[in-house]
Amino acid sequence: MIRIRFHGRGGHGVKTAGRIVGTAAFLASLQVQDSPVYGAERRGAPVAAFTRFDSAPILERGVIDSPDLIVIADETLLADAGAAVLAGQTSAAAVFVNAPAGARLNEKYQILPPLVTWDITARTQAVLGTASALSAGLAAAAAKLTGLISAEHLLAAVREELRQLRATADVVDKNVTIAAEVFDQLSTVRFAPAASGIAGEVLTVGYEGVNLGTASILAPGNAQQRNTGTWRVERPEIDYDVCTRCGLCQLGCPDGAIKIEKNGFPVIDYDHCKGCMICAQVCPLHGIARTKEVRSW
Amino acid sequence: MRVAREHFKSPKGLPVEEYLTPGSPLCAGCGGLTTLRLMHKVLGENVVIVNAAGCMTLLATFPFTPLKSSWLYTTMASASAGAQGVRDALDILRDSGRLPPQEDLQVLVLAGDGSTYDMGLSSTSSAIHRGLDFWYLCYDNEAYGNTGFQLSSASPEASHTSTSIDLIHQRKKDLFEIWRAHHPAYLASVSAHDAVDLAEKVERARSLRGPKLFLSLAVCPTGWGFDPEWGDELAHLAVETGVWPLKEAVAGVVRHTYIPNRFRPIADYLEPQRRFRHLFQPHRNEAVLAQMQAEVDAYWAGLGTESTLTPRAPETEHAPRV
Amino acid sequence: MVRQLLTGNAAAAWGARLARAEYVPAFPITPQTEIIETLADWFADGSMPGKFVTLDSEHSMLTAAGAAAATGVRTFAATSSQGLVYALEVLYSVAGWRVPLVLVNVSRGLSAPITLGPDHNDVLAARDTGFVQLHAETCQEVLDSVLLAYRIAEDARVSLPVLVNLDGFFLSFTREPVEIPEADRAREFLGDFTPVQPVFRASRPVAQGVAVLEGGLYSYFRYQMHRAVQNAVAAHTAAATDFERLFGRRYGTIESYRLDGADVALVMAGSFTTKAKAAVERWRSQGRRVGVLRLRMVRPFPAAEIAATLAGCRAVGVIDQNLSPGLGGIFFHEVAGALAAHQVQPPVLRSFIGGLGGKDISQAEFDHVLETLESAHAHDGPHEAELLFTRTEWDQVRNRLALAGKTWERSAT
Ligand SMILES: Cc1ncc(C[n+]2csc(CCOP(=O)(O)OP(=O)(O)O)c2C)c(N)n1
Ligand code: SF4
Ligand code: SF4
Ligand code: SF4
Repeated sequence: MIRIRFHGRGGHGVKTAGRIVGTAAFLASLQVQDSPVYGAERRGAPVAAFTRFDSAPILERGVIDSPDLIVIADETLLADAGAAVLAGQTSAAAVFVNAPAGARLNEKYQILPPLVTWDITARTQAVLGTASALSAGLAAAAAKLTGLISAEHLLAAVREELRQLRATADVVDKNVTIAAEVFDQLSTVRFAPAASGIAGEVLTVGYEGVNLGTASILAPGNAQQRNTGTWRVERPEIDYDVCTRCGLCQLGCPDGAIKIEKNGFPVIDYDHCKGCMICAQVCPLHGIARTKEVRSW
Repeated sequence: MRVAREHFKSPKGLPVEEYLTPGSPLCAGCGGLTTLRLMHKVLGENVVIVNAAGCMTLLATFPFTPLKSSWLYTTMASASAGAQGVRDALDILRDSGRLPPQEDLQVLVLAGDGSTYDMGLSSTSSAIHRGLDFWYLCYDNEAYGNTGFQLSSASPEASHTSTSIDLIHQRKKDLFEIWRAHHPAYLASVSAHDAVDLAEKVERARSLRGPKLFLSLAVCPTGWGFDPEWGDELAHLAVETGVWPLKEAVAGVVRHTYIPNRFRPIADYLEPQRRFRHLFQPHRNEAVLAQMQAEVDAYWAGLGTESTLTPRAPETEHAPRV
Repeated sequence: MVRQLLTGNAAAAWGARLARAEYVPAFPITPQTEIIETLADWFADGSMPGKFVTLDSEHSMLTAAGAAAATGVRTFAATSSQGLVYALEVLYSVAGWRVPLVLVNVSRGLSAPITLGPDHNDVLAARDTGFVQLHAETCQEVLDSVLLAYRIAEDARVSLPVLVNLDGFFLSFTREPVEIPEADRAREFLGDFTPVQPVFRASRPVAQGVAVLEGGLYSYFRYQMHRAVQNAVAAHTAAATDFERLFGRRYGTIESYRLDGADVALVMAGSFTTKAKAAVERWRSQGRRVGVLRLRMVRPFPAAEIAATLAGCRAVGVIDQNLSPGLGGIFFHEVAGALAAHQVQPPVLRSFIGGLGGKDISQAEFDHVLETLESAHAHDGPHEAELLFTRTEWDQVRNRLALAGKTWERSAT
């Protein structure tokens, strides 16, 4: 069985990528199971999708803990501990990262399996004019690396899945172009039969008292420990030469990620700013600039 | 035109204290979150939020809460009954001398439109009827947001939701009037865009005992289909086009707190939103747009005797001065 | 026939479409929403004639569904978790009216604490309502079960609502290859709905849902309902026979997986049974004689068939994906009751709780279950239900509790 785990951010198209590979394997008459991770896919928040295929019936369900292949839509996910993109990497035959070919990421992020990179963003930007919908390229990379899916089935699956998303004929064609190119340029990796992950200690749970045993939270405001700054696609930056300390950006920020300092100037809390850019829109003096944070958008 | 402000003259005058930390799992640009944050700012400390199922339920997801105040998630239908229980218990304790005044809490129901307009309506109706001393914030994103934006009875005419069958004939319930018919102590519609108006209303309601109900149009980039950065601008347009009147009712008497001097055409508000795209593409649906404009126009034309800028002073401890 | 990748939710919607349900009252809840959104699209574009209507709650939704069925229209509804328990009062009502309809439940754990992952406490809360219950393991079985459910519901011997259960996420959002029957073959399998009871018509007044104040009468009507639910076995068998003839897939009230000559049997329901099958394949390849009994029809409870199937086993372990606080696993007690009633006494009978709120049941936990069963003896005496839990999960719990400001010291006070 091949188990592929896709990681991206809401809006990258990893759910569609997982479905394209699923459909391609289905067209190849294989047994297939694909599913996106549960929950709301907030734009910018880490999401995952899972695809399994095999010639025999698939006797697994749910999340893939021990992937044969990990496909990562953006390098920033590797730095995002909450996304846990390398979980179970020891079982993987390869990790694919959408990054310029030859990017040296292994050491930086402690990627253990062989690393494959290819700049899907650049191609998608060039062909589609936007770098956010990466599904075709990511699916093509996964399909080719497994060596079990033909170009014909892959491209038919790209058409099928994008048609279901009601993409225009032109967009479908362009995605097919991207997929064909990625498929062409990558090479298949070698898959060793996965070791079955049976290790694990089972233990007995006892009674712990009503306080520990109830889902209540006794640490008010501890959500600050969650780093939602990694969701950011664009980064707002205040130009303090322009700022008049009117405070409107602070009021308008849904998350309260702008603090007003003692001297009256606003300061953005980048650990939490989700990059909605409302502050930039409300600033009467257009004193909040934007820069790109994530490469693939 | 705008009513005179008593408590807050400008945005800079608003309280600086925050009771919601960042780090919540809600969408970037969530208008409901902005409203809650602003309302809490003015309400101040010592609040227990009683929540009905909706997007905000995920604010407190174990082990994290962004709230510096207390929280009780109940069910989708019965948040107001939950508020009743908390309030009654606090009263019992206070009246029997077992609750020092500084330990008392203000009770705030937090619910979306699906809960508020649909299955929670009965529970809230009864709480208002009993004169329960509580706050209610309905962040109205005009559909069941948390489950992926299905039709609620707050979904306006022609807005596309994932279960709309007859877009053109769906109508938004007039909850303001339904609630007003219950004679709550205080009732207001607010917008996160106009933080000062919102704060003024919270402050005016504060001295009143009984139900203090707030209905806020909460822009929802995810469900409405627009780039989050335009959230504040859309909230602004909803007010400037007259789609979302800012008003209050004290002891049943309505007063509009802001009336645009020149109304913008409603298409300005509708067109940027994907849920109304079918009105503009592939062809502009002039008939429906004209109909919708006429309904908004009729609302404002009909502002008659009972809805004026200068109501008779209601009998309250601190009657608002105009 | 088309073969296509479908989610469990899409399969449920296809079931309703192929059954030509004409009335769908709806209310959204995760993870069911894709079902009603798909149906809304089909009613809007005319591929399904009739009426789709959004209601203000599940309580209203199911009342409308039952009332439409009482008026003689084929009706479909779907919900999950909080929605099912919110509608619980009405489940009892519509079953008492003895009206046929199909309700799909997408299993999800119950609040509090509110959660999204699946377990069976929601659907089992409805076990005493008078609804017939079928539990699916695969997306294909979801579609097929909806069609079979209408045959059972509308069978004159039954005339009751039927609930089809699928697990949230593990089936609802997971695509698998599904064969979608041709519309005319489906029509051959399931004809038009002809109510077996009088329905509301001007020419023929009928009082339905009336009060019954005499205990004797009440007992009589309730017992009639019990017998009608039991008749669902025969109705299912007849329907399943036609189904196999037309579509080639065979369904029983239970599924026996590699139980021939088995010393040890695991009993489970729903999509997690797939994980048990993987364990069985592994164990069989090691020469261990283990199989799985999957509960498919849960009401009526196929006690005789379960007892007969488990008769030769030395050890039986029931893995419940539900928990009745203070009792343990619900299915364990139902299986134990069935075995006792049929005088089948496996020397070892053990209860395990796994997969609550969608928690995984890892292969390590299956190994633990098998080791427990293999090393147990008849004279060990009774055992508490055991929660399947791993060290990794325990560490995670401790970490989360600490983040929530809860320390072990604080808990002691
Ligand atoms: C009885 C019941 N039915 C359904 C649900 C599922 N549910 C959770 S949140 C939600 C939507 C609530 O919509 P709304 O009140 O508008 O709040 P929003 O999600 O937009 O924040 C629904 C239907 C539930 N929790 N309980
Ligand atoms: S972009 Fe601006 S408004 Fe949005 S979260 Fe960041 S700081 Fe707040
Ligand atoms: S809105 Fe602009 S001018 Fe006003 S405080 Fe913010 S950055 Fe400064
Ligand atoms: S769906 Fe809308 S209301 Fe819900 S969290 Fe997202 S933006 Fe806010």
